[in-house]
Formats: sequence, structure tokens, C-alpha cells
Amino acid sequence: MKKPVDPVKIGQFESMRQPLDLQAAIKESNRCLLCFDAPCSTGCPAGTDPAKFIRQIKFYNYKGAARTIRNNNILGSVCAHICPVEKLCEKQCSVKALEDPINIGGLQRFASEYGKTFALEPLEKSKKNQGKIAIIGGGPAGMSCASALAKLDYEIVIFEKEEHAGGVPKWNIPEFRLPGEALAYDVKNLLDQGVEIRHKSAVESKDAITNLLKDGYDAVFISSGLSVPFKLGLLDGFTNAVDYIAFLRKVKFDRGSINLNGKNVAIIGGGSVAIDSALSANAAGASKVYLISLEHLDELPADQEEINLARLMNIIFKAGSQITGVNAHEKIISGLTGIETDWIEPGKFIPQNARQISGTEFKINVDLVVQAIGTKPGNEVLNFSKALKTKGKGIVEVDDNFDTGIPGVFAGGDVVNGGATVVQAVGEGKKAAQSIDNFIKNRRNSL
Amino acid sequence: MKTRADLSINFCGIKFENPFCLSSSPVSNHAEMCARAFDAGWGGIVYKTLGLEKSFRVVMPSPRLSVLNYMDKRFVGLQNAEQITDRPIKDNIRDIAWLKKNYPNKVLISSIMGYTDEDWIELAKMSEDAGADMLELNFSCPQMAHPSAGHRTGQDFHAVATFTEVVKKATKLPVMAKMTPNITDMLPVALAAKDGGADAISAINTIKAITDIDINSFTPLPNIHGHSSATGFSGPSVKPVALRFVSDLYNSKPLQLPISGVGGIETWIDALQFLLLGATNLQVTTGILRYGYRIVEDMIEGLSDYMIERNIKSLDEIIGKAAQKLTDPSNFETRYQVVSVIDEEKCIGCGQCFISCHDGANQAIKFDPAKRKATVDEERCVGCLLCKHVCPVWDCVSYKEVDTQLVKHAAIF
Ligand SMILES: Cc1cc2nc3c(=O)[nH]c(=O)nc-3n(C[C@H](O)[C@H](O)[C@H](O)COP(=O)(O)OP(=O)(O)OC[C@H]3O[C@@H](n4cnc5c(N)ncnc54)[C@H](O)[C@@H]3O)c2cc1C
Ligand SMILES: Cc1cc2nc3c(=O)[nH]c(=O)nc-3n(C[C@H](O)[C@H](O)[C@H](O)COP(=O)(O)O)c2cc1C
Repeated sequence: MKKPVDPVKIGQFESMRQPLDLQAAIKESNRCLLCFDAPCSTGCPAGTDPAKFIRQIKFYNYKGAARTIRNNNILGSVCAHICPVEKLCEKQCSVKALEDPINIGGLQRFASEYGKTFALEPLEKSKKNQGKIAIIGGGPAGMSCASALAKLDYEIVIFEKEEHAGGVPKWNIPEFRLPGEALAYDVKNLLDQGVEIRHKSAVESKDAITNLLKDGYDAVFISSGLSVPFKLGLLDGFTNAVDYIAFLRKVKFDRGSINLNGKNVAIIGGGSVAIDSALSANAAGASKVYLISLEHLDELPADQEEINLARLMNIIFKAGSQITGVNAHEKIISGLTGIETDWIEPGKFIPQNARQISGTEFKINVDLVVQAIGTKPGNEVLNFSKALKTKGKGIVEVDDNFDTGIPGVFAGGDVVNGGATVVQAVGEGKKAAQSIDNFIKNRRNSL
Repeated sequence: MKTRADLSINFCGIKFENPFCLSSSPVSNHAEMCARAFDAGWGGIVYKTLGLEKSFRVVMPSPRLSVLNYMDKRFVGLQNAEQITDRPIKDNIRDIAWLKKNYPNKVLISSIMGYTDEDWIELAKMSEDAGADMLELNFSCPQMAHPSAGHRTGQDFHAVATFTEVVKKATKLPVMAKMTPNITDMLPVALAAKDGGADAISAINTIKAITDIDINSFTPLPNIHGHSSATGFSGPSVKPVALRFVSDLYNSKPLQLPISGVGGIETWIDALQFLLLGATNLQVTTGILRYGYRIVEDMIEGLSDYMIERNIKSLDEIIGKAAQKLTDPSNFETRYQVVSVIDEEKCIGCGQCFISCHDGANQAIKFDPAKRKATVDEERCVGCLLCKHVCPVWDCVSYKEVDTQLVKHAAIF
């Protein structure tokens, strides 16, 4: 059973989901069938093993549940808050054949909270005697790879551009969806393993990877994510047209500097990040928030739960429409013109396939435009090594083992998959760690 | 930092890596099953009770099981009509030998049931030769088709003493006698086993019971071709009875034998409760029938975390610690009186406490229909805590001590 989210909390930038208390956790875990082949566990890209931690909760082994989550997924408490469970573990739940699926996210929040409150013993420190690994980017993929390698007794240095680890969950995911303490706990667990994080250490020089390998690192893992947001040419040069990465970060860490009270905000995009931006704008006081997307309501890439929430918060959907022009004075936008659209070829959700429907033109007054139409890897990635292969928007090419083809150089997370989820990044980091270990052991054996 | 406490025990001179054992039943039916149980983490196994087919050929009835359901909760207890093993003795002995060879550090206890002195001796010797570490004498199966076996033996002090003595003389192995709960007082039987030389007592086997009746065919379940019988009841529902017998054994001055606790154990908390009432060793069947061997993982991890959190270095430190708190009801301190306290914040206004107190206690709950809140009338409250136990919010009702001078119960009636 799920408790509905609390919209008041969103306005206060506090966790919108109440944690399951002990009684609720016991009841919920007792709805679990403890399936033989546990499809929920098969459905988790990071191998968090929900079937096991639910069983542990059911049998009053709460600390064990916390241990399972943390040991299998170094971002276990972050995932407990923001994992798209409806699309993963809960989607597979056998109970669905009979009643509502198990509230796996809620149970995961309960257990990781329990581990934190009742002082789960720290993870063991790496002995640092198996080799030295450089990780570029301390987001979920990098953290996960580091944790898995530290368990295998490697020495790890994470080079992180920012003054804090965590990547997107740290800077961009709104506080009402992901309380800061969750990530702080996961980072602390990683530090317990003796992993070194070098903050404000962007890797951007030419041939950086080649040099790291020369400097005594046995292998390198690239997990720099997607740092460059796409922008619409139409909005170029206007001071009040921003990208969602910058906007969400500002709302999260520098809310005082933006005053949205009584203002109208237009969000361009229809994915989860657009909804995050819309809710954040609403919570920051905006009077009207529009969400403009080519996709129609039933085609939005955002989760149904997020869409429902946005409707609850009075976000105005302009789904199935497009911006055609800007009303501006000097460099400041005061309004947008748009038109409703349809698809030329059904089911192909790309801008080139959109057809405008005449007679549906509209005009809205706006004070701020937030573009939430995607991101791509930073340009510096192309410089890392001449031999590094990239494709499409600049994402790094790897094989099934997250191997770039350059000996000792691996990559995973958003920089490889083009933008997915935290739990996917964690899974890729773990698998890459295994490949790195194999690479180093094979090399040692062949010497 | 240590994440696993030392759960090992010494029981009758034998070291168990942890106290968790399979009890004798289908869960320990043959070598392949037992091997998987050892692999899952169980410290020991009491093998499915052996018998000699030349003396009595066991044929199992079918269907064999029925369950006790309580509303939406299924399987709160299990009734079985199963006898001892129906496998040939030579297969079982071969399996025991194989298990001891492949799992030398795990403990294997051979459960046996004879019908004559000679049977008991033969089974004991065969088990010893196969490498069993210990014997359990089954004086307690409540549904043997044989006229003088199982719990009928277990209700006969003399037979228990004699058979135990016969076995003790035939082998060097430690011997444990398994008690039937189908008796008012277990102590005389346990003492008879001690007289016969028993090294330990295990309790309990199943309780004779009837779980269900088909109201259309007028047939109790399991419906064995038109008939049924009061047969062995086990699982969570029998835990209270098992705990009582274990504490009786532990608190007996003349007995002073190590105890293996059995009956309704599924979680580390159940296990710990048996330890606290005096069991050293623990056995499980129904929990495994319901959930599989894997439940031992949570027993080990849960008990281990409990010990580490409280800095308990060995289970010996806690065995029997709660048994000391049991006393005769005539010794209760009745100058100590409590009344219920309802947390108004947590009260959801369902009124269940009102109904229960009104019809089943002392009419001490007041219900405000406008506010939909329950409150306690301390003048009338007798502190039975019925309200606490029916409340759907588990931590809403608590209680506090009251000045006994002010208690007016006597005056109410
Ligand atoms: C607004 C938003 C909401 C989201 N919501 C969810 C959600 O609810 N659930 C979910 O599962 N996923 C969500 N995601 C996706 C998820 O955040 C990402 O898939 C995930 O963070 C990817 O992890 P990563 O480690 O690959 O990359 P990132 O999180 O981007 O981490 C990359 C790290 O590398 C650092 N870095 C970048 N370049 C360099 C360099 N040159 N040198 C050194 N360091 C560098 C960055 O500072 C950062 O710390 C969301 C994404 C966004 C943008
Ligand atoms: C199906 C079944 C078969 C059993 N067979 C035996 C047996 O052969 N010998 C024996 O000593 N006890 C037997 N028992 C009793 C169990 O070993 C145990 O004493 C009892 O079930 C209580 O423990 P539990 O609640 O963990 O099941 C059997 C129990 C069940 C449910």
C-alpha cells in the first residue's frame, strides 16, 4: 500500500513522501509472497535484491535489510527515494496478479532509514593492495564503480569537478523528491571504504586519460555523465531563457536569488526533468506554470505518478504543442507564441515528425522560460584520448563489459547510455568494476 | 568491525556452529535435502525418524495435512497425519553416512523409534555406525498406526525410562528424549528419561488437535477417505505451549538437563525467546515447510546483530535469563496496579477499544462521537490492557502505574 504524496511538503521543499513506520513496514512486508524466482530482484538493474531485503524485514531482520541494500547498491538510500520502481521492481511483482504490488520503494526507505538510525556498522576499508584506479566523475556511476572496486581492495581516486560528490542527485534532483540526508549517507558509506574523492578536480586537459595511465593508474573509469544541456535556437540570447540543469540547481541551492512570486513560467519538455522543473517553479512561488511538449498527454515520457502530481499542483499542460515565436523587449522574453501539433507518422516522437495544426495558435505571457529538452556529455570528453570512440550526441562507445576498447579504459552511466536512471548508472558502475578487476587480473597473470 | 557474533553452542558435549537445527520431519527426509539445508546455514539436523520396516511397515495416509487459518492470515498452524519415515532403513542409513562424510563439521542427530528393546538397540547401533553425532528418541509422534509407539510410549513413564536405558547401554552417543506435549505435566516423563540415562530433552513434538471441519460433508480435515483424526499440530500457534513446556523443564530443580526447544520457531525473535526460557539448542519444521530452508539466514543475522548490539559474547550468557522471571501466580505483586493511557494524537477514532472494553472488560473507555476519540476513565480502568491489544495503531495505547490506595475496583462490584 502506498500513502499519497503530500503536496504541502513540495511547497516547503521537504520530502513529499512520508516514510513507512515500523508497523506499516511489517504489514507491507507480510504482503510479499517471497517468490521462488523473485522477479522484483531480476528487475533491478543494480542488483539491489529487493526480494531479499523484503524477506529480511518480514523476519524482523531490519539491520540485515539495511545491510543488503547498502552492500548491493552504494546509492541505496538515494534509490529508495527516487527509483522509478513502477517501471522496474514493482512492475514485476507477482502480487500484482492479486492486488496492488508491494510498496518496494517504501520498504527500501524504511530499511535504509533503520540502518542509519541504528548505526549499521561501516563498510570495510579497502586494503588498497590490488591496484590503483582513477574514476572521472563522482556521480552515481562513479560512486558505484568505486565502491565495488574498494570491496575488491583497490585504491580508488575519484576526480570530481564539483565541491561535492553525487552528480545529478546532488545538484539537480529537487529536495522534495530526494532529501539531502539520503545522498549524504550514501557518500559517507563510500568514504568509509577508504575511497578518495578529489573535489574541484575536473579532468579536462588534452590526453587526460593517457596521462592518468602513465601516472601509475592501472585503469580509468569515465563516468562524467551529461553536463551540457540542449537549447532551442529560438530562445538563444535571451536572459530569461534558462536550461533546466541550471534552473534546478538554483532552486535547490540558491533559491533566494530567484523570485518567482506571481510570475509565469514556461517549461519546455515532457520528461521527468520537465516535471521536476515545473514542480520546482510552482514550489518557488510561480503563479502559473506551463508545460509545453510535442508529446500529447498520453505520450509524455514522464511517469504517470509524476504527471498526476503535476496536475495536482495545477501545472498547465500544453501537451501536443510547439513554440513558434518569442515576444521580447531588449533581451527579455515577455511572451511565447505556439501552436498545437500532431504527428505526421504515428508513434515517432521527434520534432521533425511534428505537424502544426492551423487555427490552434496560442499566446502566453511568461516571465521565465526553462528548457528541459535533454543533455549531452561535456566536450572535454572528446579530448580524453584520441582513441576514445563516441557516437551520437557525444556519448562514449563501449562493449557489453563497459570497455571502451582502449586498454584499461572503461566507461559507464549516463555518459554511455545517453541518460537513464540512478539505478541503471549504479548497475553499470558495478559491472564495469567487475570488468576492471578482470582486466587487471588478466594483465597480472600474463606478466 | 565485527558483523557476525559467535553463535556457537555446546550441547551434550557437541559443538554446533549455531543452535539452529532442522527437526525430525519431511524437511530432513533424505540426504539431498539435508545437504541443501546445511548449505543454507543450518547448524545441525535431526534426521527424519527412522524405524525398522521388518517390525512395522509405515504407510502414510493421504491427504496428510490441514491448516489453521485466521481470517486473511493463512497457515498460523499446521496439522499433519504423518508417521515416521516410510523409506527403507538401508537407504536412510546410507544417507546419514554420506551426510557425515560430506559435512563433517555439521551436526547430524539420528531420530529413532523402536517397538521393542531389540529394535531400539538395532536402530541406535546402526545410527552410531553410520556416524551420527547424537540420538533423539522419538517418544512423541501422536499418530503412529502402531498400537504401542510414539506418544503412547511418551505418556508411559516406565517405557520411557526402559527404552532410554536400553539405548544408552547400546551406544556411546549422547541421547536426547523427545517429549510429547499431549500430557498435563511433562516433568515426570522427562525425569523418567533422565533416570534412563538421557543426556538432554527435546520439546515439543506436535499437539493432538483438529484444525478444520468441512461443514458440508461433516468431515474433519484432512479428509482421509471419509475419516480423520486428532493429529499433530505445529507451527506459530503452538509456540506458546512449547515455550511453557521448555520453561517447565528448565526451571525443574531435579531435571537439570540441557534442552532442545521445538515448536513454532520461524524468526530470530522466536529463537531468542526459546533461548531465554532455557533452550540451548533449537529445532524447526513448520517454518521451513512454509518458507523453505532460507529462513535460517535471517535467524543467524538477526540473532547475531542482537548480540553485537548488546555486547553479548556467547549465547550461554542469555540462556534461561527469562525463565528466572516466571513464578507462581500466587506470588504476583498485586499492590502494583496500572491503567491504560491512550495517545490522543495517535488515536484514529475507530472505537475498537470501546467495544472490547464495553463488552469484554470494565466499561472504562469513553468514546466521544463528535471528536471520534477514545479516552480512558481511570476510575473504572482495571489495567487489563485489552484496549491496547485490540488497537489497530500498535503504539497508541500504553499504560502507567497508579497509586493502589486510589484503586476502587473492589468498590465497583
Ligand atoms: C532533473 C533530473 C531528475 C532526475 N530524476 C531521476 C529520478 O527520479 N530517478 C532516477 O533514477 N534518475 C533520475 N535522473 C537521472 C539520473 O540522475 C542520472 O541517470 C544519473 O545521475 C546518472 O549518473 P552518472 O554518474 O552517470 O552521471 P551524473 O549524475 O551526471 O554524474 C556525473 C559526475 O561527473 C562529474 N563530472 C562531469 N564532468 C567531469 C569532468 N570533466 N571531470 C570530473 N568530473 C566531472 C559531475 O560533476 C558529476 O558529479 C534525473 C536526472 C535529472 C537531470
Ligand atoms: C509433517 C510433519 C512430520 C513430522 N514428523 C516427525 C517425525 O518423524 N519425528 C519427530 O520426532 N517429529 C516429527 N514432527 C514433529 C516436528 O519435528 C516438531 O516437533 C513439531 O512440528 C513442532 O515444531 P514446528 O512448530 O517447528 O513444526 C513432524 C512434524 C510435521 C509437521
